[in-house]
Amino acid sequence: MESVIEVHNLYKYYRVGDSIVRALNGLNFEIYQGEFCAIVGTSGSGKSTLLNMLAGLEKPTKGEIVISGKHIEKLTEDQLVSFRRDNVGFIFQSFHLLGTMNALENVALPLSFRGEKRENRLKKADKMLDLVNLGKHKKHIPNQMSGGQQQRVGVARALVVDPKIIFADEPTGNLDSHTSEDVMKLMQKVVREQKKTLVMVTHDDHLATYADRVFHIIDGQIVKIDNNYQENREEPKNEKN
Amino acid sequence: MNLTDLLRMSLGNLKRRKLRTFLTVLGVIIGTASIVVMISLGLGMQNSIYQEVEQSGGLTTLTVTGKSSGDTMMGYDGQNSDEPTKYITDDTIKEFSQIEHVKLAAPMYQMSGYLLKGPYIGYIQIVGTTREALENQNIELRPGGSLPAENSGQLEFVFGNGLQTQFYEKNSGKGYWDTGEMPDVDLEKDQMFLVLNTQAYDNARSGSGFGSGDGGEQPGTRKAKPAQKYVVHSSGVVAGGPDSYNTHFYNAYCDIDTLKMMLKREFAGTAIPGQPQTKSGKPYKFFAYTSASVKVDDLDEVDAVSQQLRDMGYNVQSNVEYVESMKSQFAIIQAVLGGIGAVSLLVAAIGIANTMMMSIYERTKEIGVIKVLGCSLKNIKQMFLMEAAFIGFLGGVIGNIFSFAISGAINFIVGSSGESMGFAGNISYIPVWLMLVSMGFAVLVGMVAGYFPALRAMRLSPLAAIRNE
Repeated sequence: MESVIEVHNLYKYYRVGDSIVRALNGLNFEIYQGEFCAIVGTSGSGKSTLLNMLAGLEKPTKGEIVISGKHIEKLTEDQLVSFRRDNVGFIFQSFHLLGTMNALENVALPLSFRGEKRENRLKKADKMLDLVNLGKHKKHIPNQMSGGQQQRVGVARALVVDPKIIFADEPTGNLDSHTSEDVMKLMQKVVREQKKTLVMVTHDDHLATYADRVFHIIDGQIVKIDNNYQENREEPKNEKN
Repeated sequence: MNLTDLLRMSLGNLKRRKLRTFLTVLGVIIGTASIVVMISLGLGMQNSIYQEVEQSGGLTTLTVTGKSSGDTMMGYDGQNSDEPTKYITDDTIKEFSQIEHVKLAAPMYQMSGYLLKGPYIGYIQIVGTTREALENQNIELRPGGSLPAENSGQLEFVFGNGLQTQFYEKNSGKGYWDTGEMPDVDLEKDQMFLVLNTQAYDNARSGSGFGSGDGGEQPGTRKAKPAQKYVVHSSGVVAGGPDSYNTHFYNAYCDIDTLKMMLKREFAGTAIPGQPQTKSGKPYKFFAYTSASVKVDDLDEVDAVSQQLRDMGYNVQSNVEYVESMKSQFAIIQAVLGGIGAVSLLVAAIGIANTMMMSIYERTKEIGVIKVLGCSLKNIKQMFLMEAAFIGFLGGVIGNIFSFAISGAINFIVGSSGESMGFAGNISYIPVWLMLVSMGFAVLVGMVAGYFPALRAMRLSPLAAIRNE
């Protein structure tokens, strides 16, 4: 399988007062095209730091991150922004929809950064909202929607740019368990159908079972990689019903 | 991101914080309005001066005075030179017209006289000059009027448009300025009596007491000669009503040769008042004019000609000097007025910067999110600059509308009393360029004030958005 993300010897140190915190301590792994990966760890394990670095929001202290053949640790901030614009979709824990815009406009927003025409944007956004079953809430602003609905708008927003990779930072962290299941299933479905690569960070072992592969991370090091690929790819057929 | 998207986002953000936006815009409105109104006052004054200059023959006309002659209402101050020693006579006028670059030299004689009409007596300033000089002054007459005929033997006047305000009721001594009622005098149509020998007339009146003046034969005192009354009428009236002031407002223009002839007849045998006399009180043979009006053919030669005239021993006043001195005064006035306005706009700029700063703190998360979603740094900067610029623009536009209202109000209030203060036209004047410049300036101020906040927004870390609280 073709690898989309390659990480070699990744280190990240923070200076806190006089001491140095090793957030990431020599990581090596690969993520393949069309894969749903979960990074699981307790808080402080370095999982969020890893995700930020993969998305180009933070610079590593040492090491290489290669995403579709590009060394992103060497890019400037401007280049990183345009890299994200073209390759990455992002799903946030607390949704981060813009409060002034309705669902449709929120989904269309990342397209406007690409300079797409308004009609095109809205058409694409409309399709995406249908895909996440929010056809009835297109004109609602975030305040008028439940957490689950908002996160589905978030998923649609991440998908609308047709990214190579989607990063999700605790996407169900602010949702109740029932809604969480819904959102996870939605994401799983999307990955399957649209053949996207999804990298999710979570502290919930149960939610991680939706992923094809689960990276367990403790104190900045990967201690275990579970491979659920076989079960997951057969199972969902029943689950979807 | 294209421009309309940026604009839509910026406006959306401004709309979200309506009250705060309004307050910030209010600051800019006040700033812009104060600058515009202040400068408009300076411009209005400047305009009225220019207008006055235009009415008195433009920049190329020199007023040459010799030893004083005639009696004028305006005292010429001899501050800038020694008292000239020569009189202006027919010979000097001829001499002047020989000077190179002089297009026209005309004598002027100013004196006061009385005009009688029914129960009214008008105290007027008579200005005698040649027809050419009158033409040169570009006096705009009411339709149907013409300049006085030359050497007709009949004294004809061009009256100033405000002359009826100089008429007083003979009995009460009250006039327009006391009662506010316009005397019933029609300058264009009424036949009036002119008194040149005002002294004799005054003597007669005080001698016989008030109340006998119905235009009939005055009994007169035992003086040598009673004052003659001449029937005069107008050949034209200066355009404009008694509420629009100009330089001709109070003057009565007539042909100088006719005036001279009448004066000689009136004062035959005695010295004409105001004319130079020998030690024994006898008049000289020549007739001394109050001043000469010299028209130079080229603006660049005005200085040279006036220097030459000065060297000949005369006082020279030119509008160029007047305008020059006015210009430097106006520069100071405008700088001061504009400075006052600029202070308030500076305060408004601080307001904009503060508002933008606040809004960036509030939107830290949002800025981070759009950065993560791929909004380029340039776009973020533009978005915030545009917001600040829009605040400036809105303030500029409303401020200008506001200025027009204030300016109108000032002109309305001052307008009625303005002419007595010597202002022609509007005291506050807002030209189109001032409008455009002030709006552009308001936008610029907004952008400058918003620049550092925008930079700050641009540099915000996208991590702030990801961090969960």
